[in-house]
Amino acid sequence: MALLELDGLTKRYGGLTAVNGVAMRVEAGEVRAVIGPNGAGKTSLFHLITGVVPATSGDVRFDGNSLNRMSSYRRCQTGLSRTFQLTSLFSEMTARENCRVAAQARLRGRWQPWGGTQIFREAAARGDEALERLGLTAIAGRSAGLLSHGDQRLLEVAMALSQRPRVLLLDEPTQGLSVEETITAVETLAGLLVDGKLTVLLVEHDMEVVFRLAQKITVMHRGSVIADDVPSVVRRDPAVQAAYLGGYA
Amino acid sequence: MRGLVIAAILLAAAPLGLPPFATTLLTEALILGLLAMSLDLMVGYTRLISFGHAAAYGLGAYACGDLLIHTRLPLPFAIFLSASITGIVGIGVAWVCTLAKGVSFSMLTLAFAQLLYAIAFKWTAVTGASDGLAGIPRRVGPFGLTQFQTRNGYYYLVLGCLLGAYAFCRVLVRSPFGAVLRGIRENEPKTISLGYNTRLCKIAIVAISFMLGGLSGALYAPFAGFANTDLLFWLFSGQVLIMVIVGGQGTLLGPIVGAAFFMLLEHVLSQYTDSWALFFGLIFIGFITFAPDGIWGLFRRRVRI
Repeated sequence: MALLELDGLTKRYGGLTAVNGVAMRVEAGEVRAVIGPNGAGKTSLFHLITGVVPATSGDVRFDGNSLNRMSSYRRCQTGLSRTFQLTSLFSEMTARENCRVAAQARLRGRWQPWGGTQIFREAAARGDEALERLGLTAIAGRSAGLLSHGDQRLLEVAMALSQRPRVLLLDEPTQGLSVEETITAVETLAGLLVDGKLTVLLVEHDMEVVFRLAQKITVMHRGSVIADDVPSVVRRDPAVQAAYLGGYA
Repeated sequence: MRGLVIAAILLAAAPLGLPPFATTLLTEALILGLLAMSLDLMVGYTRLISFGHAAAYGLGAYACGDLLIHTRLPLPFAIFLSASITGIVGIGVAWVCTLAKGVSFSMLTLAFAQLLYAIAFKWTAVTGASDGLAGIPRRVGPFGLTQFQTRNGYYYLVLGCLLGAYAFCRVLVRSPFGAVLRGIRENEPKTISLGYNTRLCKIAIVAISFMLGGLSGALYAPFAGFANTDLLFWLFSGQVLIMVIVGGQGTLLGPIVGAAFFMLLEHVLSQYTDSWALFFGLIFIGFITFAPDGIWGLFRRRVRI
């Protein structure tokens, strides 16, 4: 059984159909990329999966359970952690505190209104582990708002990772990065994925990034899925080339 | 921490060295300090700007006044019961207000306070309408204790409540729950996406803030001996917000200092001019522009505590 299943997922805003009957199966341990030109509905798809906006129709199932009636925060608690297309951090906290708050959300006693030394220690340990995996240990004590854009993007991934997610949803992790920063970020992410333990759903429109990281690719165009296969097949698909890749392949 | 102990000792010794009218003034300052500190939980720690915190104060004062006039409850019990009632009402207020965010949230808090103000004007049997409740007694007890009836005894009751509330708030904001509050303050959508039920969290902090605000109102009623609709008026809500900002939001102690500063300035300026509020307004503008951290922020920059 697939870990994450989408079935006929549709979102309409008045006359505009942002996401149109999308079906997808993401197996455990898979790294799946969703690509498509601007306005294809990639980020909308993420919002539907994480419940930021309600779906017009269709179904999101995670580990066999329907998420449809769950509010956004509950879906996260089941093990979906995401990053945002526009970096979203606690900019007045240090990088370490950002990860600590993220990790705390998955611990018993995260609401405890007194003490908390034990909870903070456990959360900080998980956060530090995530920071280390992303090579951010050196800047852990710095205020998140003062980090370089590249480090901020990676910090957001570290926050998601410190939640020990079952599915990691990354929304354009290289958005707005310089060429050098992109290379660093992609190599760091590739290093994370190398052991195949993480299940990742990745939205991206930088082709280099997608072909470097993803095992399977879903191509969206105007809200619908037009191709869904391994990279080598997707690359040759004539519909994909017409819609999106242009002269790339 | 050492500074805190010294401040507590000084406050405890104050009535012994101060003339009676100054003790009365200080008692009122501490009551207002408790109110400002309770608002700081919302404004400074969660960025929930309330324009209607007078609602908590007035509610606590009327509840306590009615309990002392119509029942035989001893003074401390009446005060704590009033605080609890205000906290419970706070849950309902919070449930409605947190349906909105940002400015709309603030407007809803204002609307609630004005609603209570209007009710207080009409519901003569309970609130005494425009006359208010007068002759609120400082009842004896429990166990025949008469200490709270005296000026100094009441001062110590207020001081005890303030110190207790401060300790409570300090533990709260440093706890895991406090860390979530900070997350909401800085980036609520992100806090939700991490899996926190932020609405529940906001309802809890508003209710706690109301409870402590109600406690201060409940302390005020038997202190002044009366409760009237002024305590619920929106102008007063604005003044409490000013105390928090001038004192230093997000610091707990700052708003207490802000409340004392506000009272002292009102006391001094009103001896010279009727338009003291004008000068206070100028001071407020000065703080917003040049010292957004407030008095406490200025103090912290010079002295490391």
